Amino acid sequence: MRWNKAGFALVIFVLGWLVPISGATPEPQLTVYTAQASYSVSVLDRGGKPYISVTDLLSPLGASSPQLKNKEWRMELNKAEIRFSPDKDKATVRGHQADLGGRVLVEEGRVLVPLDAALPLLSRSLNTMVDFHRPARRIFIGSGFTRFYAQFKNEDQSSLVLNFSQPVKPDVSHDQDRTTLLFRKEPIVSETSKQLFGDGAIQSLIYSEDNGTASLTVTGNAALEITRSDDGKTITLQPEKPAVEAVAESTPQNEPATTEGQRHTPEFFVMIDPSHGGSDKGASFGSKLLEKDITLRLARELHKELEERGIASRLLRDGDIEIGLERRAEITNEQHAGIYVALHAGFPGHGVRVYSPLLNDPQQIAGRFLPWESAQSAALARSQAVAQAVTAEMRKKGLSVASMGVPLRPLNNMVGPAIAVELAPEGDGLQSLENQKRQNAVASAIASGIAQARIQMGARP
Amino acid sequence: MIPRHFQITIALALVAILISGIVIIRMTHKEEAMVEQAADMAPSAPVAGQQEHIQILLAYDDDQALRWRPADVFLPADRSLRARETLRSVLAQYLQTPSPHPLARGADIKDVYFVSNDTMVIDTTAQFADGHPSGILLEELTLTSLIETLNANVPGINKVKFLVDGKERETLAGHADLMSFYQTNAVHEMAKEFE
Repeated sequence: MRWNKAGFALVIFVLGWLVPISGATPEPQLTVYTAQASYSVSVLDRGGKPYISVTDLLSPLGASSPQLKNKEWRMELNKAEIRFSPDKDKATVRGHQADLGGRVLVEEGRVLVPLDAALPLLSRSLNTMVDFHRPARRIFIGSGFTRFYAQFKNEDQSSLVLNFSQPVKPDVSHDQDRTTLLFRKEPIVSETSKQLFGDGAIQSLIYSEDNGTASLTVTGNAALEITRSDDGKTITLQPEKPAVEAVAESTPQNEPATTEGQRHTPEFFVMIDPSHGGSDKGASFGSKLLEKDITLRLARELHKELEERGIASRLLRDGDIEIGLERRAEITNEQHAGIYVALHAGFPGHGVRVYSPLLNDPQQIAGRFLPWESAQSAALARSQAVAQAVTAEMRKKGLSVASMGVPLRPLNNMVGPAIAVELAPEGDGLQSLENQKRQNAVASAIASGIAQARIQMGARP
Repeated sequence: MIPRHFQITIALALVAILISGIVIIRMTHKEEAMVEQAADMAPSAPVAGQQEHIQILLAYDDDQALRWRPADVFLPADRSLRARETLRSVLAQYLQTPSPHPLARGADIKDVYFVSNDTMVIDTTAQFADGHPSGILLEELTLTSLIETLNANVPGINKVKFLVDGKERETLAGHADLMSFYQTNAVHEMAKEFE
């Protein structure tokens, strides 16, 4: 009887451990993607706030271990000294203070900082573009994203071909009518969250990000089989065939799944540039309202508006980081943006101003190699067309708008169509710059103008 | 026991000291302000030349426009000095109170250099750029009014570049390009959009 009780207690004890393990939600994590590799960092809960260890975050990038000197914890990364003081909400990076968004904690020699501190620490110490997808806890260092485009074929047998810019190896899971590709290590990004393909065997493709991962979910009314090809750069999904038919039609594994009709044309996207950022505040409107904040809000609004119109877009910065004008042009040119839109806010006057580039040397002849200062030469006419289309849409929406050409950086360094839009305060004061309704109207007009211009330019859908 | 009349005398003396102290501090501040103002308004070295009645292109922020206005300016015969004084006559209008297009105190042209017969480099003071209000239109209005005024009064200049305190700067105040040479004929076309 005593043994029975002991055995029962043991079973309860074991179950008590097993039940939480089997139903456990994944540990919260942050994933950092670099050009060379990617790694994950555990996210800890400290008083309801997410924290990370600076060693976990920075050591994989080559940072030294934190050393305690004069009550400060010091590290070195990329020849930049980083200093943390316990209980302080600021760190010193390259001699400048960086706001960490919360107190520094030290636990048994481990320096912990709030999750939000990852962005200023990385961008300032590495001096490069860092993109932080905060809700999904994904950080991209540099511009080595893996992009993809989906090609839906509705022939005898429907199929969905996913073409990636880099080889990928996702975890695949099936759940009734949905197939999920989970990307743990690949820096997959997408500006389009959902694509619909009708009501057949393959109905939709949904892109989502969560807990340091990205996933693509394909839904349909049939079980799907997956074929990888092109050294892992292409994944084809199609309804499973009956076993006999499948054997009869099987093809050699090495044969590429792509057909002649498929071509790797670059995806059209709009590069949205919220001007200024970091210590470059832009224009100041009173003591608290800064141009860099207004442009970022407007950029996010424009991103949404473009997405609603099925136009892919990327934000050149999605946080308070500083990027030089030259670098903004380099990133846009490297990624082959279809259209570049710089957003500004400034005095004087009222309404909205739409600017197209004006080359300082109009005699310049566009050739194979263009001088940096007049890289815009070949795209000047298209830039003017985009500016005209955006201006026309603003007028349609009843917005007060002026349009002109100006020699503005970095517009003149862009090889593709480029415009700038400057939001000025309305008569009712500076708060109009923050007015959500007005920002919506301006973003909507820009998006409609771009949609019109895109049709004129004959961009790939 | 101190007599009452003595107490009153001491109190009055203390009040008098306090008041005279306040007056002295105010006078000192006023004197400093006057010296500062005098320094700001100090005339530059007299320029040998004839007074000429010229047209200068001024920016008007309220209207977001450029307008030609007459001005009487002493212009020397030397081409460089003539260019510098022409540009200064524009800045002088912007530094007045009230100003159609306010610039920071100390905004000035340090010097101008002809790199070649048709190419000029304009060296401005640090205050010209450091204190310039930030904004695409504001910055473009400043540069356009200066270049266009130069174009109208000093013939033969085709290219203009701005320096700030002797050094190159990427932008005027975050927007207008200062790295490139401005083509005066291109600026002339741009000015038409503002007029």
